[in-house]
Amino acid sequence: MAERACHLPGLDSAALQWEALHFDGAGRDIAVEVPVLSGADMQAMAAHVRAHTKRYLAQYPVARVVDIIDQAIARLLDRSDPYRRRMEDLLPAITGYDREMLQLGLTEYLKSFRKPELQRFLAEDFPNPALLDDFQPLTKGGYGRAYGPEVLAHIWAGNVPGLPLWSLVSGLLVKAGTIGKVPSAEPMFATWFAQLLAEIEPELADSIAITWWKGGDEEAERALLAEADVALAFGGNEALAAIQSRAPITTRFLAYGHKVSFSLIGREALDAAKASDTARRAAYDVARYDQQGCYSPHTLFVEAGGSAAPRQFAQYLAHELSALEWKFPRRPLAMNEAASIAAWRNAEEMTAGAEVVGAPNGAWSVSFLENADGFGPSALNRSIRVVAVDDLASVPASAAPYKRLLQTVGIAAPPGRLFTLSAALGAVGVTRIAALGDMTAPEAGWHHDGRYNLSDLVRIVEIDGRALAASDRLAPYAE
Amino acid sequence: MDFAGKSVLVTGASRGIGAAIARAFAAEGAAVTVNYLANADAAAASVAACEAAGGDAVAVQADVTERAQAFSLVEQAVDAFGKVDVLVNNAFRPYRFDPERRKLHWELDWADYQAQFEGAVKSAHSLAQAVLPSMLARAEGSIVNIATDLVARPIVPYHEYTTAKAALIGFSRNLAAELGPMGVRVNTVAPGLVYPTAASAATKESVKDAIIAQTPLRRIAGPEDIVGPVLFLASDWARFMTGQTLYVDGGLVMG
Repeated sequence: MAERACHLPGLDSAALQWEALHFDGAGRDIAVEVPVLSGADMQAMAAHVRAHTKRYLAQYPVARVVDIIDQAIARLLDRSDPYRRRMEDLLPAITGYDREMLQLGLTEYLKSFRKPELQRFLAEDFPNPALLDDFQPLTKGGYGRAYGPEVLAHIWAGNVPGLPLWSLVSGLLVKAGTIGKVPSAEPMFATWFAQLLAEIEPELADSIAITWWKGGDEEAERALLAEADVALAFGGNEALAAIQSRAPITTRFLAYGHKVSFSLIGREALDAAKASDTARRAAYDVARYDQQGCYSPHTLFVEAGGSAAPRQFAQYLAHELSALEWKFPRRPLAMNEAASIAAWRNAEEMTAGAEVVGAPNGAWSVSFLENADGFGPSALNRSIRVVAVDDLASVPASAAPYKRLLQTVGIAAPPGRLFTLSAALGAVGVTRIAALGDMTAPEAGWHHDGRYNLSDLVRIVEIDGRALAASDRLAPYAE
Repeated sequence: MDFAGKSVLVTGASRGIGAAIARAFAAEGAAVTVNYLANADAAAASVAACEAAGGDAVAVQADVTERAQAFSLVEQAVDAFGKVDVLVNNAFRPYRFDPERRKLHWELDWADYQAQFEGAVKSAHSLAQAVLPSMLARAEGSIVNIATDLVARPIVPYHEYTTAKAALIGFSRNLAAELGPMGVRVNTVAPGLVYPTAASAATKESVKDAIIAQTPLRRIAGPEDIVGPVLFLASDWARFMTGQTLYVDGGLVMG
């Protein structure tokens, strides 16, 4: 049975050409049909979304938008709901990720988008969220109101299920019409979410389009970028530069490039009672989504001086990764991915002089290095470098050359050092500090890559402070 | 371990731990009788897995808590493979391991215990009597009973289930004392929480995490983890062991 991806308001699905993407995860063979759109189709769809958004979504109070999203999330948190069941059924086949890891991950992730969390998103970016509904007094004087884009384009990337939800929800909260381009690696999550929202509030059905084009198909991409007021794009820097080159200067372009993350483990987390628990949390960050997220660690810096030495910590970590391989087996790798892990292990041993411990089948690898300045690329898919350091305070300086790439740092250290290290890390480009074990689950309202999720999307319309005084003179009751 | 030429009867072998045990014996060359209660399709799949693993296998439906059916089961195993060398008492009365919905002590009726005793002890009693003639004919045989580590450490007090399994361990020791002089060995394997199985599907992640945190080997058992100790106890490698209980739970219980 072929699934059909995408949600194309204003277009006649029957008249479109469709092609099939094939997925073979979890021992299944799944075909997902995706539409082939011309530039004219994209223009027509954008015009349709724009018109409907102006008529409905843009008129909603933000509280109503929150309620609708909350209802959708409640449905998806219910494991007996048909949409949730389809996710649990098909996402392992589409992504290759372990079924149970996905199921637990979905619940954990979706909890970030319930009503109280959505209110945090709003409060984080708008001290007074009523700004999205009506003119509100501004602190500098005058009045302001925030308008979301009528057409917000999202160009998503990667295969971590649910990732599109961050930007999709952000767009909805500012009442933007959405046109999202799903990645070929995971085209269904955003599709289902759009269908579910349309089911809950039919007026929204024509304000959200989910579409697809083959990566590099310039015609469809150009057409969308020309129509969009704001475009969000995710992916590697080369792909982002290419997309940006196709966007007109009048379209606000917000790029989220590839990032790398790492962890700092202080001696305080390595006493006899805590060391193996610390390793368990660190291993979880490595195993979850097989390091495919921008927030997944590439390197763990482990401080000497605890009762477990860094080398022992590496051994604990190796065992925890081995235990997690039983619990959440890693996604089967393509030939080239497996080869790159073998090459990485080899390079770690031969070039870097590391001690490498790993599963014989390559399911996980721990490379241990002493006396190194540390940073090295991970081959991902549960391959991790552990670097022994005398003092964690030395790490931020060695991270400085990678300033534009840094995102999350997992820290296990007492409160005083947490803040000192965070200050040093922030200065070299890190934008998020997380607890070990939480690296892959950002909290609601987080500032993705240090930016504002919602306020970056809107334009503020101001009534100059003097305008009201001037209009007073024209009031019929003016004395 | 070579089980070529051996006839092995595994109760409750259509799914979960029982199916894994059946398949492992088959992979070592045994002829396996796959007993099941209700799910004929699952039993057929288990037989197919045994055959694919290289052994001979046959599925036999029987409710082992009914004495007559237990005897009929053994008769059919003997008809199929000429004898029974190894009996694995794995079947138990359906039980849902759900820490949030378990019955509390004061909510339990004696009938709840009775049902579990019948699933664990009555079935083992009937089957041991039924296989005895076949084992005594060659003055050798091995019976392996499946209990639970909850007997030693009731991390969740599943009263009726665990009490019945504790009785099964007592039953095994007495039987070992009785049958040892006749060359038949009786031992027990006591697994920790095994996930995933139909019975443990409702066990929440937080419970699993709590168990993992206290388990030296840092994970929950899968059905495949249980088969090694069962095969060992059934084999000649364990020829001087009887009346023993092996805990297979990653070190949660030591004893």
